[in-house]
Amino acid sequence: MSYPKLAELIPREKRKNTADKLVDLILKSKNDDKMPSDLANIILRRWQQNLLTSEHGLSVLLKAAVLLEHEKTLSVLRELQLDELADKFEGKHKWLSLE
Amino acid sequence: MVKFGIEFVPKEPYWKIVFYAIQAERGGFNNLWITDHFNNRNVYVTLTTAAIYTNKITVGPGVTNPYMVNPVFTAQALVTLNELAPGRVVLGIGAGDKTTLASVGVEMRKPLSAVREAVSIFRNMVRGENVAFEGKVFQVAGAKFFFKPKGEIPVYIGAQGPKMLALAGKIGDGVLINACHPDDVEYAVNCVKNGVQEIGKQFSELDVAAYTSFSVHEDLKKAMKAAVSVVAFIVAGSPSQVLERHDIDLKKAEEIREALKANDWGRAFGAVSQGMIEAFSVCGTPDMCIERINQLLKSGISQFVVGSPIGPKVKAAITLIREKIIPSFTT
Repeated sequence: MSYPKLAELIPREKRKNTADKLVDLILKSKNDDKMPSDLANIILRRWQQNLLTSEHGLSVLLKAAVLLEHEKTLSVLRELQLDELADKFEGKHKWLSLE
Repeated sequence: MVKFGIEFVPKEPYWKIVFYAIQAERGGFNNLWITDHFNNRNVYVTLTTAAIYTNKITVGPGVTNPYMVNPVFTAQALVTLNELAPGRVVLGIGAGDKTTLASVGVEMRKPLSAVREAVSIFRNMVRGENVAFEGKVFQVAGAKFFFKPKGEIPVYIGAQGPKMLALAGKIGDGVLINACHPDDVEYAVNCVKNGVQEIGKQFSELDVAAYTSFSVHEDLKKAMKAAVSVVAFIVAGSPSQVLERHDIDLKKAEEIREALKANDWGRAFGAVSQGMIEAFSVCGTPDMCIERINQLLKSGISQFVVGSPIGPKVKAAITLIREKIIPSFTT
C-alpha cells in the first residue's frame, strides 16, 4: 500500500494530533542523516502551505517518521489508536517495500 | 512596539531550522538570526533556504565576523540573498570569538578597526561602488561587483564590551547586545548611547536588540535544565569582572571552564548555579519571561532576540512564545 493510501486510514478528527506527533518525532530524531532532502523539502513546502494535516501532508510525514524512527512511529500510531495503520508497518523492515 | 527575533544555530540540518523558521514567522517573530561558525553548517545556505520558505521575516547572519569571512564576500552573499528576499535582509557582524578563531589559526587583530573597516567596505560594496580601501586591518585594491546590487541592507553590530558598543552606536543601523540581565543590558545601552551622542545621531534611529540565551517552559525546572549547558559555556567565556558583577563565585566558574575543556559535561553542567542561570539567560515560565522582557525593555531596547536553547523542545517553546509571550507586547 502506498503512503497516500496509508494516510487515508487516519480519520479526519485525528489528523491534527497525528501530524503534530509525527512532526515532533521527526524534529527530535537523532537519525536526521536518514532524511532524504527531497522528502524534507516536500515537508517544508506542505508546512509553509499549512497543509501538513492534509492527506498528502500526512503521507509525507508518515514516510519520514518511518524512515527516521520506525519503532517510535509504531508506538505513536498505537498511542493514537491507529492500530490498523500501525499494523501496516509492523514486522521487520516491512516499511522498506512501501513507496 | 518591541520586535521579536529568534536565533538558530545551524548545527541542526537545514530542514529542522527552516521548519522552526516557518513556525516563528507564523508566530509573529520579526527577525530570524542564524549564527555563523565554521564548525556548524553554512550560514548563507541556511539563510537562503529559510528565505525561500518564508515571506516576511527579516533574515540575516547573527553574527558573522570579518576575520573568517572577508567583508567583500559577506556583501556578495547578502546582496544575492537580498535579490531572493528583497527588503528583508540584514547583516549582523561582530568581532567573533577568540577561541574559535584561534582554532583555525586566525588572530583577532584590532577588533574595533576590523569591524569598523568591514562595515565600511560592506556598505560601499552593497552600494555597487568600486571599493579601494586602505585600512589598519583590511586593504582592498579595487573591488566592484560585475552586477548592480539592489536595495539597502541594514547593518547590526554584535557587541559586548563598552568600546564595541559605542562603535555600534556610531556606525550601526542596529546593535545586537549580547546580554540577558537587566543591569548588563542597561549598561550596554548606555555605552551605545555614548557612541550615538558622539556623532549627534538619535538613539531612536537604531534598532537595539537584547540578544539573549532563552529558555521557556511551563515547568520552571524543565526550562532551567535546558538552559544549563548554554549558561555553562557563557560562564566559562565571561571575564572575571562580569562574573563578579553578578556575585558569581570565580572558583566555580573556573571549575566549569576546566570541566568543559576536559569534555566533562556532567561536572561542568553540575556546577551551574541558579544565580548563573539568572545572570546569563532569560529562563522560566512564560510569565517569568514576560517579566524579564519588561525589565529589559525599560533600558530602551527595541528588539528582543530569543536565542539558544529557546526551550527544552524548540517547537513547543515557539508555540508558547507565540501564544503566551508575544501577545503581551503586541496588544
